Amino acid sequence: MKLNKRIITVMVTVLMLFLILVIYLTYFTLFQAPHIVNSSYNQRVWEKEERILRGTIYDRNGAVLAESKQNGDSQQRIYPHGSLYAHTIGYNSRTYGKTNIELRFNNYLLKTRSVIDVIKNEQTNKVDFDKGANLSLTLDNGMTKLAAQLLGKDNGSVVALNPVTGEVYCLYSNPSFDPNESKLIENWDKLAEREDAPFFARATQGLYAPGSTFKVVSSAAGIQAGYADFVTTDSGKTNVGGKDFKNAGEKAYGEIDMGDAVKVSSNVYFTELSQKIGKNIFEDIADKFFVTKKVPFDLDTKAYKLKFDDFDKAELASVSIGQGKLQVTPLNMALVACAVANDGVIMKPYIVEEAFYDNGDAIYSAPSDVLSRATDSETAQALTDYMVGCVKSGTGTAARISGIDVAGKTGTAENERKGQTHAWFIGFAPADNPQIAICVMKEYSGKGGGSVCAPVASKIIRYALNNGLIN
Amino acid sequence: MERMIRNIRPLLLLVLLNSLGMLLLLVKGAESAEYMALLCGIMCAVSIAAYIIITLCHLGDTYLFIIISMLSSVGVIMQSRINGANGIRQTTLYLLGVACFFVTLFLYRWLHRYFKRFTLIYYGVSLLLFALTAVLGTVRNGSKNWIVLGGVSIQPSEFIRILFVLSMAAIFTNARNLGKSSKKQMPELEIKKMRYMRLSIAAGIAFSNAMCLFLQREWGIALLFFAIYLSFLYIYGESKLFFGANIMAVLCAAFVGIRYMSHIQVRVAAWLDPFADITGKGYQIAQSLFAIGAGGFSGSGIGNGSPYFIPVVSSDFIFSAICEEMGVLGGMAVLMLYFLLVYRGFKIALSSTNEFNKAVSVGLSVMLGIQTFIITGGVTKLIPLTGITLPFISFGGSSMITTFIALGILQAISGIKGEVTDEIE
Repeated sequence: MKLNKRIITVMVTVLMLFLILVIYLTYFTLFQAPHIVNSSYNQRVWEKEERILRGTIYDRNGAVLAESKQNGDSQQRIYPHGSLYAHTIGYNSRTYGKTNIELRFNNYLLKTRSVIDVIKNEQTNKVDFDKGANLSLTLDNGMTKLAAQLLGKDNGSVVALNPVTGEVYCLYSNPSFDPNESKLIENWDKLAEREDAPFFARATQGLYAPGSTFKVVSSAAGIQAGYADFVTTDSGKTNVGGKDFKNAGEKAYGEIDMGDAVKVSSNVYFTELSQKIGKNIFEDIADKFFVTKKVPFDLDTKAYKLKFDDFDKAELASVSIGQGKLQVTPLNMALVACAVANDGVIMKPYIVEEAFYDNGDAIYSAPSDVLSRATDSETAQALTDYMVGCVKSGTGTAARISGIDVAGKTGTAENERKGQTHAWFIGFAPADNPQIAICVMKEYSGKGGGSVCAPVASKIIRYALNNGLIN
Repeated sequence: MERMIRNIRPLLLLVLLNSLGMLLLLVKGAESAEYMALLCGIMCAVSIAAYIIITLCHLGDTYLFIIISMLSSVGVIMQSRINGANGIRQTTLYLLGVACFFVTLFLYRWLHRYFKRFTLIYYGVSLLLFALTAVLGTVRNGSKNWIVLGGVSIQPSEFIRILFVLSMAAIFTNARNLGKSSKKQMPELEIKKMRYMRLSIAAGIAFSNAMCLFLQREWGIALLFFAIYLSFLYIYGESKLFFGANIMAVLCAAFVGIRYMSHIQVRVAAWLDPFADITGKGYQIAQSLFAIGAGGFSGSGIGNGSPYFIPVVSSDFIFSAICEEMGVLGGMAVLMLYFLLVYRGFKIALSSTNEFNKAVSVGLSVMLGIQTFIITGGVTKLIPLTGITLPFISFGGSSMITTFIALGILQAISGIKGEVTDEIE
C-alpha cells in the first residue's frame, strides 16, 4: 500500500534522528567533553576543589613544602618556603590558576579514598574522606635552600640528581617568586613586568649555549666515530671552514690528545675533531644524549631542534664547542653528566616519587625508566677519566673535594650579549661510584664557569656527602 | 494471562528502576525513607495496575504503557533528585496524567467516529487559546506562553499541539478521500480543485498556528508544528509540487527568522560557539555541556553530580541532568525508550484500518519523536536550542497531562480493530 510505504518513510526519518543523537553523544563524550570540562567556567571544577582538602606535598625527608589549611568555608594553600619551589611545585591560586606540579598532579592532590576502598581496609578506623592524596617529592629541601643561597643575586640555576635512579634532588632557578596567593595578588603586576623574568623556569625551559661543557658530548662523538686517539698540534688558534676559532686567551698547548683537550678545554682540538666526525655521527650522538630533544619530565621542558643537515663546516665546528646554533637547557646538560656517570645510560628524571593517602596507601609510584642509552660503558669510562682530569688539574679545580674524586667540565659560553658570557659547570661524584650528578649555570655572568660555577657544585656535592645522599 | 507472563520482565525492570533510583536518593539523604517508599510504591503500583487493566480488558498495545511508566519513573527520580518537593508534585502529575490517559482512552474508543468532523472547532479553540494567552498570559523565560488561573499555571500551547494533530489528520484524510465516494462520480478536475482547496486550508491552519507561536516566541513548538504538517503533506498530499512549495516556504521563514530576528540570531550564535560568550548568550548551553561532559559514559551516579549548576534544569534541561548523573549511556537508554515509543506509535498507525485513526496516530508519533529530538538535540548542541519540554520527564503539568492524553488516543486506536474504513461523509 502506497500510504503505508510513505508512513514507513516518515517513521524511518524520525527514528534516524534518534540514532544520529546517539552517535553524536558518543562522539561528544569521546572527543569534545575532555576539553570542555576543564574550562574554568565549569563550576564543578571549583566545587570539587572547595569540598576536598588539597593534599600535602613533602620533600624526600618528609619536610612540608606545600599544604592546605581549612579557613572557614574556603581553604588556603600555604608554601612555607616562599620562593624556593615556585618553579617546581608551582602555585595553586583561585585567581591565577595552577602551574607545574600543582597542575600536573592536580588529579592526585584532589583524589579521595573511595567508599569501597575503605570497606576493604576495615582496620582503618579513622578515615578522612575529604582529604586529597599527598605527594612525596624526590627534592631535598636542605639542598634546595643551599642552592638558592649559593646563587644569591646571580641569575641562573642549579640542577642535581641521582644518575643511577633519575631522582631529582634539586631543581632551582633564580630569580624566583613567592607563590603564596596573597603575595601573588600583591606582586603579580610587578613580577610580570620585571626584566629578569622571575616567572621563567630557567632550569627546565631556559635555552642557552652550553659552551665548553658540550665538549663532553663532542668527545663521545669522537670516540664513537673512531677518533679516540686523535692528536693535533694546538697553536692557540685554527681555521675551520673559513672561520677562525681561538682558545681562551689564545693559549697554545702544543701536541694534545683528547684527555688533554678536555682538561684544558681546547677549542682548536674539538673544532678540528668535529670535521673528522662529520654531521651524521654528531647528530646521532646529540640525539642519544637528548640535548636537542624535549626531556619527558614531571615539569614542562623545552628543546631547540638542530638541523644538522643544513650545517656547513664552520657551523658544525661551532656546535662542537657548544656555541653557534646549539641551545640547551640546564636540565639537558645535567643529563649529559648523568649519562657519563651511569655507564652511558640516562635514566628518566622524575620529581614526584609517590602519591599516597594519609593512611600510607600509595596510588602512584614514579616509574624507573631508561630515557636513553647515550654511549657504551667503555666510552663512559674514558669520558669519566677525562672529566676527573679536568677537576684534578684542569679548568675545574675549584670543584675539588678532599677524599673523593669529582668528575667535571667547565664552560664559558658566548652569547648575544658581548662580554656577558654564561658560566657553566657539569659534573658528578664520586667518580668511581657516581651518586650525584650536577649542573650549575649562571646566565650573563661574564665570568668563567671554573671560577663561579665549580665552587657552587663543590658545595652542593659536599652537602650530599654530609647528608647521606652519597655513601 | 499468557501475554501478561510474557511481559513480566519489563515490569520487573520497572520495579527495579524505581526501587534502585529511590534507594540511591535515600542514601544521598534528600528526603525521608517513608517519602521515598511512598513515591516508589505509587509509581510501581499504578504502572502495574494500569498494565493489568490494559491487558485484561484488551485495550490494545500492551507495551505502550510500560514504556511510558519507565520514562515517567526516570522523570520522578530525576525531579526528586533535583528538588525533593518537586518529586511528589511530579508523582501527583503522573497520577493525574494516568487518569487523563484512561478517560481519553475510553472516550476516544467510544467516540472516535466523530472526531474527524470537528476540524473547525479544533482550529477555533486553538485560536481562542492563542488569543487568551496573548491577553491574559504572563511572561516566563522570555516567552509569553503561560496563563495563570486560580494559582494553576497552564501552558496552552501544549494543548494546542493535540488539537493541531487532530485538525491536520481530519483535513488530510478528507482531502485524500475526495472522489472515492461511491455515491456520485465527480469529474477529475473537480476533485483536483477540491483537493487543492483542502490542502490550502491545511496550509492556512498550519502557517497561522505557527505564526501565533512565533509571536509568542515558542520557536520549539513552532518547529514541531512544521514537522507534523510536512509529514502529513508528504504522506497525504498527493502533490509533489505542493510539498516542494511548502518546504520552500518553511525554509524562507527560517531564513527570514535567522536573518532579521535578533532573538533567533542569538540562539544560532550560541549554538555555533557557546563558549564565545559563555557568561551571556552561551551560558545555558555551556552549562549543559559541562554537565554532560562531567558525567561521561557512566555518569557520576544519582545524587553525586551537580545538576544545580544547569539553568532551568527541571524542565528544558532535564536531559543534561540525566546525562550527568546516569551517564551518557543512561541518556542513550532514555533515548532508546523514546525510540521504542515512537516505533510503537508508527506500528499502531500502520496496523490501523481506519483512515482517520491512522492519520492521528502518525501525527502523534511524529509529534512525540520530533519534540524529543528538538529538546535533546538542543541541550546537547546538536541543533540550535529551542525551549520545549521533554515528554514525561520535564517538570510541568500541562506537558504531562497533554502527553498522556496523546498517548491515551494512541492506546485507544491500537485497540480499535477491524472496522469498515474509507467511509465518506
